Amino acid sequence: MPAGRASLPMGDTGVMPASGAAPAGPDPSAAPAARGRGRPGGPDRAPATPATPAIALDGVTKRFGRELVLRELRLEMAAGRVAVLKGSNGAGKTTLLRLLATRLRPTRGRARIFGYDLQRDGDEVRRRVGLLSVLGGNYAMLTARENLRLATTLSGLPRADIDAALARVGLAAVADGLVRTFSSGMKKRLGLARLLLVDPPLWLLDEPFAALDEDGRLLLEDALSAARAQGRTVLMASHELERSARFADAVLDITGGRLVHAGRPA
Amino acid sequence: MSDLAAVLTIARKDLLQEARGRAVTVATLFFSAVTLLMMAFAIGQDSELLRRSAPGVLWVALAFAGVIASAQSFQSDLEEGAFDQLLLYPVPRASIFLGKLLANWLYLTLLGLLMTPVTLVLYGAHAGAEAWLLPPTLALGALGFALIATFYAALTANLRAREALLPVLVFPVVVPVLLGAVRASEATLQLSNAALAGGWLQLLGGFDLVYLVTCTAIFHLVVEE
Repeated sequence: MPAGRASLPMGDTGVMPASGAAPAGPDPSAAPAARGRGRPGGPDRAPATPATPAIALDGVTKRFGRELVLRELRLEMAAGRVAVLKGSNGAGKTTLLRLLATRLRPTRGRARIFGYDLQRDGDEVRRRVGLLSVLGGNYAMLTARENLRLATTLSGLPRADIDAALARVGLAAVADGLVRTFSSGMKKRLGLARLLLVDPPLWLLDEPFAALDEDGRLLLEDALSAARAQGRTVLMASHELERSARFADAVLDITGGRLVHAGRPA
Repeated sequence: MSDLAAVLTIARKDLLQEARGRAVTVATLFFSAVTLLMMAFAIGQDSELLRRSAPGVLWVALAFAGVIASAQSFQSDLEEGAFDQLLLYPVPRASIFLGKLLANWLYLTLLGLLMTPVTLVLYGAHAGAEAWLLPPTLALGALGFALIATFYAALTANLRAREALLPVLVFPVVVPVLLGAVRASEATLQLSNAALAGGWLQLLGGFDLVYLVTCTAIFHLVVEE
């Protein structure tokens, strides 16, 4: 199998190696109407059409200095699908997620989210992507409520129900507590609350089950089930394959920066 | 949301964090006060030399404090992956820079307002008829320092040697601002021709404008790795 290529028909799992002829046009139907500036009106967060992959990677390579972290990744992932990225520590999972979140620039190759080029259309991409990072992505010296208010304000969702989101993840009682007093699991729950509030078409999750207690894991599973039912596209890096694969259409194996296999969850 | 609202939201976030944590306040107040004291001891008992040194020492202390404040403002972003999250919000990255700049500028101006009377007392300097020019001098000088320090703090935020690199990068670039701020302060403290103050302030404003436009325009390039 060529390096960096996954091998599974898109029709089967919604995830396949790119043929090099991914539909080029952006998919306006994947635009959430309320997030950010200049958004079109119309129905919120309509799922992407099947013609436009949620994620399209064409020879994406990422190098840090001399270290080659991602190598010639080619992949198409259909909108509305859930895929798990598995691989050992340092395989490139987090780097790929950060790249898709526009935090890293590809050294070579081209990446598109719902048809929007990661580098050229960064603002459009950011309207469609949400990230739950390993550590939760919160500000320690702000309260849980203030962290979510920051997220909803900057996402152009000033009327989002912050109290409901905090209650949903079990943090209502500590809504006005500083995040620096939170445990790792509580910080992860707060990150999940932010993702649920902003609810973008594409969810990027980096070790979402890590640090969560059993209740937290069940909460996350509920959120993933709901996201799947509502047509969100989810790409999650996880070492907990058995649990995360329950929701997945495909498992992508990344090794040494190469995408070596894509298949159905066992 | 408008770009201005995003700028204000990010600045408020930074100021609120600092009001609670006070990490920058403690470090910069202490550092500035110690710098002013040490330089006063080093210069000695020559009252004329002390008086003439006051503007230079004040602005050097503020320059060091500006570097500390800017580095710390990105440190709180980098903890727990919050900066990745901040950069993912659908607001222009220029707004993120301007928000952080606004917080650093306000903080540095406030620090300057606190340190100016301390400097006047320690160094035996007096504000003359042109004293009204001190606040704009502080504001424009602090803006120049904050601009350069915030930009380079973002550039070095992910580097292991950021503490050592940041001053090395900032201080050569900040020389025109330092020169303008010191000369304008000299004029207001009756240490040179008062008529020159306006000219130096215009020069300072010009530097600030150039840095503001340049740093805002290219900020997106420095936050993507």
